[in-house]
Amino acid sequence: MSEATTTADYFGAYGGRYVGETLRPALDQLAAEFPRAWRDPDFQRELQRTQKDFIGRPTPFLYAENVSRALGGADIYIKMEGLAHTGAHKINNAVGQALLARRLGKKRVIAETGAGQHGLATAAACARLGLSCRVYMGAVDVARQRPNVFAMEMLGAEVMSIDAGSRTLKDAINAALRDWSASFPDTHYLIGSALGPSPFPEMVRRLQAVVGAETKAQMRETGADFAALVACVGGGSNAIGFFSPFIDGSAPRLIGVEAGGRGTGAGDNASRMTGGVARVGVAHGYKSRFLMDDDGQLLPTHSISAGLDYPGIGPQLADLGESGRVEFTAATDAEALDALRFFARHEGVLFALESAHAAAAAMRLAPAIGRGRAIAVNMSGRGDKDLFITAKALDRENWLAFLQSEIDHA
Amino acid sequence: MPKLLAHFVAGYPNLEQSRRVALALAAGGADGLEIQFPFSDPSADGPLIERACHAALHAGFKIEDGFRLAAELVKATALPLFIMTYASLVVAKGSANFAARAAAAGARGLIVPDLPPDYDEGLFAAGRAAGIAVIPVVAPGITDARMELLKRQRPEYVYTAMRLGITGGQTILDAASILHLDRVAKLGAKNIAGFGVRTREQFLALTGHADAVAVGSHFLACLEQSGNNPDALRGVAAALKGN
Repeated sequence: MSEATTTADYFGAYGGRYVGETLRPALDQLAAEFPRAWRDPDFQRELQRTQKDFIGRPTPFLYAENVSRALGGADIYIKMEGLAHTGAHKINNAVGQALLARRLGKKRVIAETGAGQHGLATAAACARLGLSCRVYMGAVDVARQRPNVFAMEMLGAEVMSIDAGSRTLKDAINAALRDWSASFPDTHYLIGSALGPSPFPEMVRRLQAVVGAETKAQMRETGADFAALVACVGGGSNAIGFFSPFIDGSAPRLIGVEAGGRGTGAGDNASRMTGGVARVGVAHGYKSRFLMDDDGQLLPTHSISAGLDYPGIGPQLADLGESGRVEFTAATDAEALDALRFFARHEGVLFALESAHAAAAAMRLAPAIGRGRAIAVNMSGRGDKDLFITAKALDRENWLAFLQSEIDHA
Repeated sequence: MPKLLAHFVAGYPNLEQSRRVALALAAGGADGLEIQFPFSDPSADGPLIERACHAALHAGFKIEDGFRLAAELVKATALPLFIMTYASLVVAKGSANFAARAAAAGARGLIVPDLPPDYDEGLFAAGRAAGIAVIPVVAPGITDARMELLKRQRPEYVYTAMRLGITGGQTILDAASILHLDRVAKLGAKNIAGFGVRTREQFLALTGHADAVAVGSHFLACLEQSGNNPDALRGVAAALKGN
């Protein structure tokens, strides 16, 4: 069957719809209705109009001339996806699924969020479409992404802090699944990454593929010879969208960058494809590679960026990693911070901490690939949201003095 | 009157206490035991069971402990015992291996809600090979096509979810619930009704509609109210049974 009438269920050995019967009707409805919406010209028209007027598409493709000169290798181009409304690629998916929810007659949307970017995007999309919105967020993430919590609440969303388990993204997903199993007749679960039970991975990839499609056209306009595309990988929605139009070919190289965190031990990173800890498992409704122990218990993860701090990876990326079409590497917390500073000073571009992992890999890659060829890096998010983390890490004394003075004068 | 299938979390509050919980439930008149092997991310359970699972894992629970405890309880109580868990634990050990280990422990059946027959990682076949029942979970609103899919497995037991959603909430046995149970009865399997029963009235209302009633969150709430005194559950089980 063609892409027009169905959505993919498995990608090689990975994917599937591993949920109890309570959630099954909701997923079966989505699997039937999403392809129908996708081929409806009215739906496409409204999606494209919203992409242009609300999100601000197309996002620019910047030749990072100074960075390229300083590194002395391949030319680096940046897909400036972080200039999208609400500051990251997340809005592409949020708007698409919110339009779908409205089409299905759902009055309420729930979402999980890690860094807060997906929650923010969902809150904005729901406010615009008049849908009620609840965002589940781990208590640890609520604490470290307070500015995003405030912004979501400004946009009318109710943010639920989750105190269970590791109190991060995975626990927010559990809470959202629990809500949905009782609420799906009038509620849409707007998953933020290309993972979870089918049809979510395929649906999210299609909604994020706009990033790759634009990039492909922009690459052609430059006339440069692109050797590689680089994207960071948490759940993987920015990477799969960015890579999407290139997957079926054999060039350019597609490189996914995981969170190397603070070391290679269990609990110190979120490396599902590159480390020695991950194994094949089934959790959160899909089969993929997870950071789990030999009993199948999900393990704690660490990354300086909340958006990469998740124990699983989208099933299509796991499959593409296994087939070799996508190469995986990791960047540590320290490398990401170095890349953040390097691009900020040389190019005037402030990467989100997640995307700075891709920038770090590009810095290693540029000299290796060498002059005369080019690399495209997806800056999936901009770095404004991270000020409370980056300032504390890079300029601790001044930052703490500032915070103290804010308290003193509050 | 239906039979009482008493649910508890293996390893909560710790392994030894969970053994005493099971023995107290048996002494109170439980007709069967449902032992839950804790998973780190139990998204089909309510917050109460989720907390118990996390506490059990924090106390060091391993799957091997679960099989050992199951075998001990089968020996000590002679009650039919069912293991409930999530896909992740089964897949980690391999479906065939997990089913064989469960059968060797003397378990009567396996309940794994996120391994439905069309995404089962081979568990239904593994159960048949090992001689242990794999028990599908049915929820209200299930389509005829999916009922047909379950029927093709010729299940010996079926676990019926009595309300949309999670365990531990209020269940009202309204006409729709009774109709749902009667629809499930047509599968020709022994019918275990679960998800939220906590009073003797609810328990008795299922007479003639279910072969057994699974009670879980209620026992867990009572255990916590008693300050984690396993022996308190003997009276709680007896009250449901009217003993």
